[in-house]
Amino acid sequence: METNNSFSFQRLMLLGKQSLIINKKLIGISLAGFAGTLFMLLVFFQYKSHFSNWGNSGYMLIFTFLFFVLGMIYSSLSFPAFRSKEKSMTFLMLPASATEKFVFELLSRIVVFIFIMPVAFWVVANLEGALVHSFFPELINYKFSFGKAYSEITAQGVEGWLKFLFIQGILFVFIASFTGASHFSKSPLLKTMFTFSIIVAGYAFFSYLLFKGLNIRDYNAGKNIFFMDKDDSIVFGAIAITLINLSLLSISWFKLKEKEA
Amino acid sequence: MIQINDLHFAYPGQQPLFSGLSVHLEPGSITGLLGKNGAGKTSLLKLLTGLLHLQSGAISVLGHNPRKREVAMLNDVFMVPEEFYFPRISINSYIKAYAPFYPRFDRAMMDQILAEFELRSDSNLQKLSHGQKKKFLIAFALSTRCRLMVLDEPTNGLDIPSKSLFRKILAGSLEDNQLVIISTHQVKDVENLIDKIIILDNGKVIFRQTIAEISQKVCFVSGSSYDLEGAIYSEAVPGGFRLMMPNGHAETEVDFELLFNAITNGKKIG
Repeated sequence: METNNSFSFQRLMLLGKQSLIINKKLIGISLAGFAGTLFMLLVFFQYKSHFSNWGNSGYMLIFTFLFFVLGMIYSSLSFPAFRSKEKSMTFLMLPASATEKFVFELLSRIVVFIFIMPVAFWVVANLEGALVHSFFPELINYKFSFGKAYSEITAQGVEGWLKFLFIQGILFVFIASFTGASHFSKSPLLKTMFTFSIIVAGYAFFSYLLFKGLNIRDYNAGKNIFFMDKDDSIVFGAIAITLINLSLLSISWFKLKEKEA
Repeated sequence: MIQINDLHFAYPGQQPLFSGLSVHLEPGSITGLLGKNGAGKTSLLKLLTGLLHLQSGAISVLGHNPRKREVAMLNDVFMVPEEFYFPRISINSYIKAYAPFYPRFDRAMMDQILAEFELRSDSNLQKLSHGQKKKFLIAFALSTRCRLMVLDEPTNGLDIPSKSLFRKILAGSLEDNQLVIISTHQVKDVENLIDKIIILDNGKVIFRQTIAEISQKVCFVSGSSYDLEGAIYSEAVPGGFRLMMPNGHAETEVDFELLFNAITNGKKIG
């Protein structure tokens, strides 16, 4: 029987099974650590807000912070085999195609996180809220709802291209860390953040030189960065970030394909 | 099974390691790959397994280009490197995690070799000694029944009984369609195992013959200074000399170290 060298769901499942066997203890400890840390954080901030001033928005602030920070850190741990030569050799010699290895990393580091983290947050937040409410009845708004938070956001007019821009922006944070992990063997997150800081600073300085330095027009940072009005710049930004995300994913795929040990 | 044509390779910013290397290897043998330090033995093994990419030339392994790292090649090639990493899991868990990727993996063979190496399947891999880890990896490699097995310094870290066991298990486990390439400095550990020798020097294969061919052409004897005249190559040893002579009559066991030194010093054996 001829082997499918490109992509096989069976081999993708084997990669998943392998990862679970190797990392099951780490996954358990990480989830427990996340739950414990989140519990203590929520209790702390509810205490600071004197319990009675706490509401859904408080939960959403903490969720948003943790979602981005933990997501960035988790994505930057992609391709763990690239951290050492010995691990790289084992990873590259594993009988799975580059596409399968890439898709598995993408699913396990970004997609799974995007789905699991909100679920875990919701469970811990509601458990914590119910427990604290039983000791401190003044904590009235202890139930957390993503639906309520989503309604509040859309009520502020976040829809259409702006919503798409937000989604692509969120994905950009994860994909940039993911690509950095494929490119840098040591300290990938720090090096990725440094690289993108240089790129953004360079672009801002370039547009500053263009308008202020060459005196083309009155310099207005918000307008001149994207060279157009607000609505057009939202569309431009959404398309640009989407293309950047796709480019970054391509870079990490080619990095995996050409990797040597 | 392996065809290398006019291979050119150099690490970035370094002198060329291989300049026009060509070699052809067929299955059904255990081939010893010998060379001085820095000759490129490990690099050649990595090029064969797709872990390094050549600059020019062509390599074909089992009909595949190793650079593409196709699954059809990867599940028929296994490399036991000199340095390796194991996750913090038991031997049983490792087998469950990795064995399914090799279609011909033989669990019964694995259990048998583990028993011979005195390794328990519930042992944590991280807690084993280096020699025990190496034995496990060799057992796993043999159990995959891959057609090409590449072993880089396989006896490093093995105790004397384990080296003997390694020779016995390797010799008894191989099939006619399999090729094993052993890269080693410890020629005495594998001298009763290999049936073909390749010697690398200055980026090229300078010697490639079977043990049978070598035995027919030369013999290895001990002698005194009076016997030096007819010797192809000689080395002083306590009590006299070790000599490599043209083979007139009886076949002797191949002295790999003497042969290696002779070849790398420019001697020819016909």
